[in-house]
Amino acid sequence: MAAANPDSARPQNTRAIMTFLREHAPFSSMDDTHLAHFAEHATLRFYADGDEVISPDDGVIKRFYVVKQGRIRGERHNAKDDRTDTTFEISLGECFPLAALIGERPTRTLHRAAGDTFCLSIEQDAFITLFSASDPFRDFCLRGVSSLLDQVNQRIQSSAMASIGSSNSLDTPLERYALRNPIVCSPDLPVEKAVARMHENSVGSIIVTDDNRHPTGIFTLRDLRTLIAEHKAPLDAPIRQVMTQDPICLPAHADAFEAAMLMAEHHFAHLCVVDDEHCLIGVVSERDLFSLQRVDLVNLARTIGTATHLRTLVSLRADVSRLVDAMLAHGADSGQVVKIITTLNDVTVRRVLELNIKKNDPGIPFTWLTFGSEGRQEQTLLTDQDNGILFETPEGMTEDQVREKLLPFAQTVNQELAECGFTLCKGNIMASNPKLCLSDNEWDDWFIRFIDASTPQNLVYSSIFLDMRAVFGPTKPLEELLDKVLSRIRKNALFQKMLAGNAFQRKPPLTMFRNFRYVTDGNKQALDLKRQGLAPFVESVRVFALANGVGTANTLERMDELAKKGVFDPKDANAWKEGYSLIQAIRMRSHQELLNRGEELTNLIDPDDLNPLDRRILRESFRQAQRLQQKLELTYQL
Amino acid sequence: MLEQIKHWLDRRRGGRGGHLDLENLPNAKTPGDQLLSDCRLIVLDLETTGLNAAKDEVIAIGAVAISGGAIQLSDQFDLILRRPELDITETVLIHGIGNEALTQGHETEDALLYLLEWMNGDPVLAFHSAFDQKFLEKTLRSQLGYTTSHTWMDVADLLPVFFPKAKPGGKGLDHWSDFFGLEASARHNAAADALVTAELTLVALNRAKKHDVKTLRQLHDKLHYHRRLQNMHRF
Repeated sequence: MAAANPDSARPQNTRAIMTFLREHAPFSSMDDTHLAHFAEHATLRFYADGDEVISPDDGVIKRFYVVKQGRIRGERHNAKDDRTDTTFEISLGECFPLAALIGERPTRTLHRAAGDTFCLSIEQDAFITLFSASDPFRDFCLRGVSSLLDQVNQRIQSSAMASIGSSNSLDTPLERYALRNPIVCSPDLPVEKAVARMHENSVGSIIVTDDNRHPTGIFTLRDLRTLIAEHKAPLDAPIRQVMTQDPICLPAHADAFEAAMLMAEHHFAHLCVVDDEHCLIGVVSERDLFSLQRVDLVNLARTIGTATHLRTLVSLRADVSRLVDAMLAHGADSGQVVKIITTLNDVTVRRVLELNIKKNDPGIPFTWLTFGSEGRQEQTLLTDQDNGILFETPEGMTEDQVREKLLPFAQTVNQELAECGFTLCKGNIMASNPKLCLSDNEWDDWFIRFIDASTPQNLVYSSIFLDMRAVFGPTKPLEELLDKVLSRIRKNALFQKMLAGNAFQRKPPLTMFRNFRYVTDGNKQALDLKRQGLAPFVESVRVFALANGVGTANTLERMDELAKKGVFDPKDANAWKEGYSLIQAIRMRSHQELLNRGEELTNLIDPDDLNPLDRRILRESFRQAQRLQQKLELTYQL
Repeated sequence: MLEQIKHWLDRRRGGRGGHLDLENLPNAKTPGDQLLSDCRLIVLDLETTGLNAAKDEVIAIGAVAISGGAIQLSDQFDLILRRPELDITETVLIHGIGNEALTQGHETEDALLYLLEWMNGDPVLAFHSAFDQKFLEKTLRSQLGYTTSHTWMDVADLLPVFFPKAKPGGKGLDHWSDFFGLEASARHNAAADALVTAELTLVALNRAKKHDVKTLRQLHDKLHYHRRLQNMHRF
């Protein structure tokens, strides 16, 4: 028995330490012989709460530590303010002090136990042995946490791959394919009216239903061809005379494969999808089933951009979600994906505007503005509308007269965007709000008041109105407006400080000594990835961007610009971009998972649902947000 | 462990014609001015067939060494003794040591000699050490005729001495482990229990240092005093 299983020949305590190590990166990717080498050469030390573990005075670092229980806090003395800053926290399964050990120098940070803490450690010679023998270990030591990021990205890719695979293999439930709210009519409707309705909605079939929404028949373009060619009935005959009776129905939980088999068997191109009460939910066409096989960005954008009906735009939203899956599967990073989502959203918004202008032109040129996350080009699948209108008042008209024409138009657009899945803004930050449908002069006045009277309410709005972009119409009026706003903010130190103070309120969800600080979501513990995770980055970066005349609204691009201008240290900027992108990636993966399960999208996650690696990455990312806020605190003396 | 013992036996027997003697074993150390931060301490735990030292036997010995104020995992002892003649069915359920595992063990004499050599006469700590001391001394006496007494200290006493206000909810190893958030990697496993006991010892030694208890003698005296105090309260 012992010979067959080398692990059982090892002492119990060696095996126990190997088991502990295996739960944590980078050890989780290391070979057993290397883990055994670690365990057999390890010492276990205890540090009571507040004890020094290593200090800059200890000289060149000769030991590699792993936290087995408890936590370690990094402390640096801030000479300027004569106080001690906590620079980092190291918790269960994490290693220290890598940089000093690799650099063969003393640590620059005092490492102190936060709570009673046990650490495993190995001496330099065992460390060197492992460093040269184990690739994952070496990689981790040299690249630190960023080597773990690759692992996370690989996993995001593989889970997205799995979801693509399932839609290709036709075992996806029909309800994901079905066109919602199919075109229906009553049995007594004349054929010509039914055909007109099909034409209006550019669909190839109409379902005939009774009063209880049970499908009783189907009429398709093919039926129309037969009707006319064979003079079966006059065009004003009621549709029940010419429809195909008792259309084939499948329940929503049937899969695409069943549907495809039925269609092939009966040579039908359409199927009704019904619920348990046999009430109509949707229609699936042969084309729907097979168009799933390939979704590509250009084609999708073109389809959206040339759609002639709102309902087409609505149905294309499902393709956007599938495209996101595909992008994640092919290794696109979260920054690229949110930009693509925003691009497709922009195309949709533009198309909705174009279709409405075609139908009902208000006759006045305008620029359609978007604010907030859409303004920053950081939209995910969960998104609501934040928009407004900027117009130049034509000669001979007052601003209120222009609004009279534009507001009803904007009202329709807002409603139609809501149908496309852009939730109506609860705070009424929408173009149909008279306060946000303004001329260039009015906007300018509005911003002067906004910046001069920095009321708490205004500061809340700063996250919306200071991230803006033109989506439709001439861009020059917005550029001129932005120039004025930026130079006003640059000159107004008080406003900057208030913005900074506001951004500083939004603390990353880490407590001083515990792991995550949760928000309450019913009786579950949860982290809000958007409000608690991304917002601290977005808000802090905005302050620096506005104060330094950076015009772009995108958070990652703002950080690049700030690094170029020397406001951010390039290394810091990179770490912050990485942290921000990872939270975004975990958020998007969670959205895709919710979508696949047909659940409502939320930004809340339960960290217990994450694996240890993700939890650690998340914590590291939050820590980066804390560092960014510390810079804010220092710069603005908060 | 197996390889280690074989290796050691070969070395010891080499040149002595395979004869093992008790003469050359390390002397037992007495508590003196050795600094706690320097000296080596043995933390030991035994698994036995039962609680009665007169009739029950030792099944397994697990021990770790503390030196330089840290548990050295390169310096540990983890062995299941070969006692096939014993009827152990009653306690098998508790310890998880079946006959199969036992026969993988070693000749008791060899193992015990190796243990004495490894212990190096250093002070021994255990949780409720009277129990382990009784069993180990009995076994050493009956198997090897070894009668030298070692310095023993009870970790169950050590903890209340340095944490007088702690209310661990009981006096057992599990109570104190829970109190400090420790967990044995396996239930009723001598080596795993020895490691937890050693971890508790580190916690106590950390506190001892802050109370200016620096030498082995000071620690031993403090324990002795605590014992006497306890006994006085009893009357």
